[in-house]
Amino acid sequence: MIKIENLKASIDDKDILKGINLEIPAGEVHVIMGRNGSGKSTLANVIAGNETYEVDGGNITMETTDITEMSIENRALEGIFLCFQYPVAIPGVSMAYFLRSALNAHRKYQGKEEMDALEFLNKAKAILSELGLDDSFLKRSINDGFSGGEKKKSEILQLLTINPKLAVLDETDSGLDVDALRTVAKGVNKFKNENNSVLIITHYQRLLDYIKPDVVHLMIDGKIVKTGDMSLVEKVEKDGYSWLEK
Amino acid sequence: MIDILKKISSDFFNKQGYPSKKLENWKFTSSKNLIKFDKQDSPDIVSRKIETDESTLLFINGKLCLDTLENFKFKDNLEIQDLVNINDENVFAFSNTFSNDSMFNLGMSDFESGHYIKFKKNTTLENPIKIINFFENNSSDCRITSFNIFHFEEGSQVSIIEKDINEGTPSFNLKLNKFICDDASNLKFGKYIEEKSDCHLLSYSYYEVGKDVCLNIDSMNKNSIFSKEFIEIDLNNTGSDAKINILNLVKNEQHLDNNILINHNAEHCTSFQHVRNILDNKSTAVFNGKVIVAEGAQHTDSNQSNKNLLLSLDSTAFSNPQLEIYADDVSCGHGSTTGALDENSIFYLRARGIDQSSAQKMLIKAFAKEVIDEFSLSSVQDISEIALDSWING
Repeated sequence: MIKIENLKASIDDKDILKGINLEIPAGEVHVIMGRNGSGKSTLANVIAGNETYEVDGGNITMETTDITEMSIENRALEGIFLCFQYPVAIPGVSMAYFLRSALNAHRKYQGKEEMDALEFLNKAKAILSELGLDDSFLKRSINDGFSGGEKKKSEILQLLTINPKLAVLDETDSGLDVDALRTVAKGVNKFKNENNSVLIITHYQRLLDYIKPDVVHLMIDGKIVKTGDMSLVEKVEKDGYSWLEK
Repeated sequence: MIDILKKISSDFFNKQGYPSKKLENWKFTSSKNLIKFDKQDSPDIVSRKIETDESTLLFINGKLCLDTLENFKFKDNLEIQDLVNINDENVFAFSNTFSNDSMFNLGMSDFESGHYIKFKKNTTLENPIKIINFFENNSSDCRITSFNIFHFEEGSQVSIIEKDINEGTPSFNLKLNKFICDDASNLKFGKYIEEKSDCHLLSYSYYEVGKDVCLNIDSMNKNSIFSKEFIEIDLNNTGSDAKINILNLVKNEQHLDNNILINHNAEHCTSFQHVRNILDNKSTAVFNGKVIVAEGAQHTDSNQSNKNLLLSLDSTAFSNPQLEIYADDVSCGHGSTTGALDENSIFYLRARGIDQSSAQKMLIKAFAKEVIDEFSLSSVQDISEIALDSWING
């Protein structure tokens, strides 16, 4: 699905990513863990095309398309979806208007007809119900006045509405209580299938109790230094990261 | 009476001349732009018929068109007099701020005729009245001055939507208005200004507010090359509430200035000012907002907010929110922000597949919508949303 080769990126002349190599085939869930400042969120943002970061080398290929130089919106239209660690609040733009605009941008890109308001509402309400959210959620401004849990559920609502090819979850589990965590995990599990991929960035095992990863990567100082299975997560929970530096 | 006032005003202006930038209220707006409009040309007859319906009052070059009154369905609720026939000096009383402003005095000395329009006691109008100010002149660089007084008697509930239409050559419209709101009256006054781009506007609106009055002023302004608006509200008795919500859309080299003063002269009154400016290209916007809470005006609740969205590095916003408080048991707040579109918000929208231009437009609309949603008149909300769309896409 996505192939990242020797990716290097910096911000304000400070090197963050120092040669990332990562390939996530369709149908797989990958996890990246690492210390604070190791470059996990930078990787998520660079995949999404955040222009704050400078790409200094390497390639990102989505299926067969090189997206390294692609605009933010075109990457999204190619199938990349970043679940934000800190979703921004945008007062004055309703969730319904925003979601329908985003969905129809994707449909237009895919050569499909735009979804009319009624069809969209039916689709959105069905997803809201699964996430335990009230229909009035759609009338609220984007993330404005949302609790931490609501913000993350809003991200999952967007994920399920847009239905991208690759979901990058940037610490989506941070700040969630157990019930909200289960709801988020339920949403991600509903999303994933053999035709799409998920990249989870996290510090903790708890989300992975609900979403079983196929591959686990450990990141230190801008590089993936170890790749393995779920046993790596258990080792990190037990021993931290210092053993990787020996 | 009016001749005496005109003479006093004429003397004042001849002595003071055009205001300089040394004056606080003219610090960021040059009156030099207005000097060239020294001809007076305001014919009563215009070149085309203006469509009006039975709820419209038509003013041509500032003068009430008495013909339209014949069909005006609320004429029984009105009492109209020529200002020449008013001898009560209280009717002509204005605030010191206005009386000491030389351009206001120029207007007072200038105007040819005006009306005193009184809405009788307990008049209740379910639908808004429309006021169309039609300006047309035949020669360039001319100044059109108008002066009208609106009086809302006790218990009256009136909504007014005012629209300016300008035709002809570039002009300078100098508008003076006084609004007298008697006890327990409710006035919703919506203004929609979509001037021709070469029209200059300077207006003075003075509101004299009694007890338990509810006053709402909604205003949407776009396309004026030069607009300076003074609004002054005297809250003279207890229990009154004044809300002002203004949205200004400015681009190119347009200059727009809102000068608002609210005087809390009595206890238990509330006021709210919310002015949002969206500026593009080399445009300039000025907000001079002041609230004065007089000694003894306890339990005043007042808030001022000015927010400026700069879409261009060449646009400029001057914001000057001020509070003067002489009472000790009040709740007053003010705030001002000026900035560009938030890059994080643009990234968020683009990361969902929305293109950059659409994301920017979405955020501009969101910024404007927060004040449009506060407008008291739904028709002004609707007009403003349409005008906003055309401004953004224009």
